[in-house]
Amino acid sequence: MKKLLITLLMITVAFAVFAGGGKEEAAPTADPVVFSFNNGTEIQSLDPGNIEGVPEHRIYMALFEGLVSYDPATLDPIPGLAKSWSVSDDGLTWTFKLRKTNWSDGTPITAQTVVDSWLRFLSPELAAVYAYLPGMIIKGADAYNSGKGSADDVGIRALDDYTFQFELTGPAPYALGMLTHYAFAVVPMHVIEKYGDKWTMPENFVGNGPYTLTSWDPQEKIVMDKNPGYWDADNVKIDTIVAYPIEDENTSLNMYKQGDLDWVMTVPDAQLDSMKLDPTYVTNATFITYYYQFNTTKAPYDNADVRKALSMAIDRQELVDKVTRGGQFPAYGLTPPLANYPKVVAFKEDFDAARALLAKAGFPNGEGFPKATILYNTSEGHKKIAEYVQQKWKEVLNIDVTIENQEWATYLDNKQNQNFDIARAGWQGDYVDPNTFLTDLLYSTAGNNDGRYNNPKYDALLDKAATMPEGKARYDVLRQAEELAFSEDMALMPFYYYSTANWIDTNVWGGWTPTILDVHPWKGMFKK
Amino acid sequence: MSDTIIKNKDTVLNEFDQPVKGVSLMQDAWRRLKKNKMAMFGLVTLIFYTIISLSAPLLPIHSYKQQVLGHQFLKPSLRPAGELMYERQDKLIRGMAAKEGRTELNEAEIKKLADLKASITTEKKVLLNGEEVLVHERVYPLGTDSLGRDLLARIIYGGQVSILIGLLGAITSVLIGVVLGALSGYIGGTFDSLMMHFVDIMYSLPYMLLVIIFMAVFGRAIQNLFFALAIVSWLTVARVVRGQIISLKNSEYVEAARSSGAGTGRIVFRHLIPNTAGVIIVYTTLRVPSFIMLEAFLSFLGLGVQAPFASWGVLIQDGVYAMTTYPWLLWFPAAAMTLFLFSMNFLGDGLRDAMDPQSKNKL
Repeated sequence: MKKLLITLLMITVAFAVFAGGGKEEAAPTADPVVFSFNNGTEIQSLDPGNIEGVPEHRIYMALFEGLVSYDPATLDPIPGLAKSWSVSDDGLTWTFKLRKTNWSDGTPITAQTVVDSWLRFLSPELAAVYAYLPGMIIKGADAYNSGKGSADDVGIRALDDYTFQFELTGPAPYALGMLTHYAFAVVPMHVIEKYGDKWTMPENFVGNGPYTLTSWDPQEKIVMDKNPGYWDADNVKIDTIVAYPIEDENTSLNMYKQGDLDWVMTVPDAQLDSMKLDPTYVTNATFITYYYQFNTTKAPYDNADVRKALSMAIDRQELVDKVTRGGQFPAYGLTPPLANYPKVVAFKEDFDAARALLAKAGFPNGEGFPKATILYNTSEGHKKIAEYVQQKWKEVLNIDVTIENQEWATYLDNKQNQNFDIARAGWQGDYVDPNTFLTDLLYSTAGNNDGRYNNPKYDALLDKAATMPEGKARYDVLRQAEELAFSEDMALMPFYYYSTANWIDTNVWGGWTPTILDVHPWKGMFKK
Repeated sequence: MSDTIIKNKDTVLNEFDQPVKGVSLMQDAWRRLKKNKMAMFGLVTLIFYTIISLSAPLLPIHSYKQQVLGHQFLKPSLRPAGELMYERQDKLIRGMAAKEGRTELNEAEIKKLADLKASITTEKKVLLNGEEVLVHERVYPLGTDSLGRDLLARIIYGGQVSILIGLLGAITSVLIGVVLGALSGYIGGTFDSLMMHFVDIMYSLPYMLLVIIFMAVFGRAIQNLFFALAIVSWLTVARVVRGQIISLKNSEYVEAARSSGAGTGRIVFRHLIPNTAGVIIVYTTLRVPSFIMLEAFLSFLGLGVQAPFASWGVLIQDGVYAMTTYPWLLWFPAAAMTLFLFSMNFLGDGLRDAMDPQSKNKL
């Protein structure tokens, strides 16, 4: 035992000595700038074809770059992989001139890479959740994705090595903004062919973004270092980005206070009031809605009266003032207010009317209402809201519900397979247009329509809007659809529009701007 | 009552010609237990907990699930909630003003405070049980949680769940373990080897996974939880008891019993198990805390007690989140649970000493 101790001691001393020596040698170069943040959870994957969440998007923005990327302040599309583009007079054909750039392993990116990447994303075999995004706007894409058409008929092509062209189904004014989304990612096809599913492993990974993947220790951290071969490397000021997947808000906040994290987006509910007084607190209105989804394939949630009764029995103002307390705005529609699209108020809370509707649906005073479960992904905040709703429904409608938390991946799985009664969800707009809410969440065939809401009249209105040019007329049609979905059908149960909450010291970190999508591109960020 | 010693031929006399009264194992144990102060403290505390838990619906406490928004995170105090609420709001508004660099409050803020003050004496609310009360006059001696629920009520009702799971879980697992372990040890041979192989197999399966699968298959009810815990937790008891029995089964008193014609059942249950009682009792009392902990862990995974019910584990879990700002949310449930677990251990220790058959008739 004594020997062992001595050996251990010697090893420790040796390490200390060597470590000290190493440091001295490395001293002359300036300290690398490291930015650490809490990504909130472990990401599903690095493959743009297999992701659907906000945490994944933050990593995607560092490792990949699509044809266009975000302006850090306004989030308007700016040149990315494409250096310029033009659109035909009828607004249907878009032509992009690509930059001469390489993957991080030196392989050039050509127009053919873009074509192959998009076709891979649309392929029925990959079954990407977001395949409906290109499916919605690009000619032939939906047919190919649903297995009814062939890849040759998809309206995308490479005119030469550095010219790429696609055709739209209609003059979608938001098409360019959509291209920033990872549904239009360009992926290293040569690596995917070589390694198959294993291409996202750190040792195989190849990207084209401002950063490259250095290491990924699941449940510990993701380290990304500056990509020296990136075309705009001069404007990438932060050397290393470290993303932690910390789900515990206390741990995360403590690390932030100690300076181990530079950016956190959540704090424990109990500390919210005091952390709102913190000088590093940044908040603004945002493009996110918090809602509960009804499984409309299951009785009694297939009955619009039941959905309305449940939805009308919640006091949203009280919820945001006293439960969530984060400056959110009560929602009576789905799309958060935009400059030209004020919010829809499709219904109002009315406890008596709610009771009457429930009676009409065959459950007077809640009698005989089947045991319902509210499903949510594990989080203190979601739990609190669920408990509030649970009590409110008991008080107003006299129905009993249980609440059930699941870990993120299980929760997503159950939600996507309609294995729930009522499920908590939140949706962040992917681009600045009501379409990102109305089509993505409620169109009958949309991949994220987990409640399986289906109203042909609603679909018809959205189809109509999809072919209309930008302007008030189009917004009017979208409005009409949104009002239909909520005043008549109560397709889902909106609670509130988020306001963002970020804790980041903007006196230290420049180039970080509060934005409506709460998207913060890495390029352009710097240490003051 | 003076000359009450009835002498008959069965009376045993000691060397001073005094009659020795026969005492049963239990009487003897009780006599020795009474002398152990810590054990008695444990016993009294346990009885106190049991009475409180059982009489919870009769106690003058608030409902454990009644949320009163606005009363969130009130500190423990015997003053009415309204006063505390007002003080806190006042402090928050002044803090906000200070952040903006003002020393005076603006009109909107002054009005907000005045409105709040007015509502404190007038605002009524209909509670879940249909009763209408002046809501801000409620008193929360142990404070409130994140949804304005009374912490005292939640600790008491949480205690019900935790104690039930702890005791029933431990007793069931010990019963199964003792019976199977004792039979296995005494009978030996093929039965023993099959039994122990079965235990080996159960051991090699991940314990938590079994419970989780069980809960997933049979649904998330409290009785299922308790059953799931019991069926996978008797293994160690069985092992320990088997070992004890094997070491005892060749002792003289067993041979004596056998030669007087006692059957297997009688020998095992009347002679061997009482002689291993010490080990079993200590083990049982140690199981109770571990069951309470396990339940807390399962609740965290979402497989345990579900809201609005609470258990100590759930309360502590919630308290951890608020530890730095509202520490009482952690202190009180943790103190309630710690005291209970201490008492269990003191009592277990005392019982072990008291019931040791080797110390029969000794003090």
